[in-house]
Amino acid sequence: MPARHPARAPDPGRAGIGLRTPHFEALAARRPALSFLEVHSENYFADGGPALAWLERFRADYAVSLHGVGLSLGSADPLDRRHLARLARLAARIEPALVSEHLCWSSVGGTHLGELLPLPYTQEALDHVCARVAEVQECLGRRILVENVAAYVRFASSTIPEGEFVAEVARRTGCGVLLDLNNAWVNAANHGTDARDLLRAIDPASVGEIHLAGHEVTPDGLVDTHGAPVSPEVWTLFAEAVGRLGPVPTLVEWDTDIPALDVLLAEAGRADAILARAQGPGRAVA
Amino acid sequence: MSGAEALARLQAEFAAALVAEGDSGFASRLAGERALALRRLAIYRRAVEANRGGALRSAYPVVARLVGEAFFGEAARRFARDCPPDDADLNRYGPGFPAFLAAYPHASELPWLGDVARLEWAWHEALMAADSPGLDFGALARVGEAGQPRVRFRFHAAVRLVRSAWPVLAIWEANQPGRDGTPDREEGADDVLVWREDERVRAALLAPPEADFVARLMEGASLGEAAEDGWDFSAALGRLAAGGMLAGFSAGTPVPS
Repeated sequence: MPARHPARAPDPGRAGIGLRTPHFEALAARRPALSFLEVHSENYFADGGPALAWLERFRADYAVSLHGVGLSLGSADPLDRRHLARLARLAARIEPALVSEHLCWSSVGGTHLGELLPLPYTQEALDHVCARVAEVQECLGRRILVENVAAYVRFASSTIPEGEFVAEVARRTGCGVLLDLNNAWVNAANHGTDARDLLRAIDPASVGEIHLAGHEVTPDGLVDTHGAPVSPEVWTLFAEAVGRLGPVPTLVEWDTDIPALDVLLAEAGRADAILARAQGPGRAVA
Repeated sequence: MSGAEALARLQAEFAAALVAEGDSGFASRLAGERALALRRLAIYRRAVEANRGGALRSAYPVVARLVGEAFFGEAARRFARDCPPDDADLNRYGPGFPAFLAAYPHASELPWLGDVARLEWAWHEALMAADSPGLDFGALARVGEAGQPRVRFRFHAAVRLVRSAWPVLAIWEANQPGRDGTPDREEGADDVLVWREDERVRAALLAPPEADFVARLMEGASLGEAAEDGWDFSAALGRLAAGGMLAGFSAGTPVPS
């Protein structure tokens, strides 16, 4: 199929933002310089209509990342072919620079929980999720990125550290890693582990994108709400990560209590400054 | 038990724990201190409920405003218990909510609530329906007057006709942002045509003969069959055409004389 949109790749030296409905008008009017725009794939699964038309217009000016929340890669349920077909249709229409999914599960027996639930980190779960990632990549005809999720519970049956599990999925399937640093921080804080273990376990060459977001501190632990500014600890982790990885396309996610566009752009600007330092003359060449 | 079976069982137990009324015993499958693990499970439980309720709230904002937060939340919980999402795309969750509300005993004092919900779902579907290139007016003109009664139309995928015994459009309009909730009509019955034009969903009240005509056309009747007793359909047809509601037509085959 001939390309319908100009070829665009994210600028690894800049941050992108999540494209959210309240910002459509302001973003279209101002067209700020951004590495890319990321959307939740499912929000554009409609057969037609205004949301898709908006996304097509933005795609003319920006690289787009399709970030899925519903494919349920880790479910024991059969892979949801209907959902995958919708994703493939959207990808054919939008020609995204990046396609990502979560390393999690969200359906049981065809019933959908609408939540990114953690996997037990076992050999069996690893074999299962790798087969599914391979199936999805085969169907879409492209490499996908898989994201480490926030997990409020850990399973007694888990035998593999999370970082090794994520790294092994990438190694076996050739998929990339979407490194979510807020999730890494939330998990470390909730389970008394070190977020840097996750960073160290993952092959730098496999990281295709970084996510930054805010969380909420509750009496029961940190909750990954995407409804607050990026925390100081996550900014520190980000600076360390780009020091190790070099510049990587980075997204500032904000999904609940969505602020004015300028607030989001300021967060992206802060990420830009850190990415710029990673590209600067001080960076060690490996 | 194979690895795949073990994973399936763990996930089924986890999902059951998220909707169970009491302690499901699932904490024994989790690492760490039991009381904390239970509180952490509750984070997921609340999130699942919030995601489902949120999906319904975004499809049914007028119903949510009419009944208030607590009532809506409870109705959403009960609906989700009976009809949990069967599609991973939560934007498609809740086509059965109008029927649920119509039969919901706690809403018996609001007999029109289910119909308002039907109007909202029609609106929601219209927003997501396929685009359409529009009618070939030149080809239609070439059918000529004699062939016109045999013409059958294909409608734009966004077009819906919601027929109610209640003033649902007045109630719906009164509960849009910026309105105080007081309908400017107390009387129905409302036949509401919903369609999408210039990327916006629109709704209009139809008089009963026009609604009958549109309903028959949507069911696949020809113009001749739809316009009973020689009713002059030109204005009604003009409205459908002007709104881009007609996507195509077939001229049928002439009856051999």
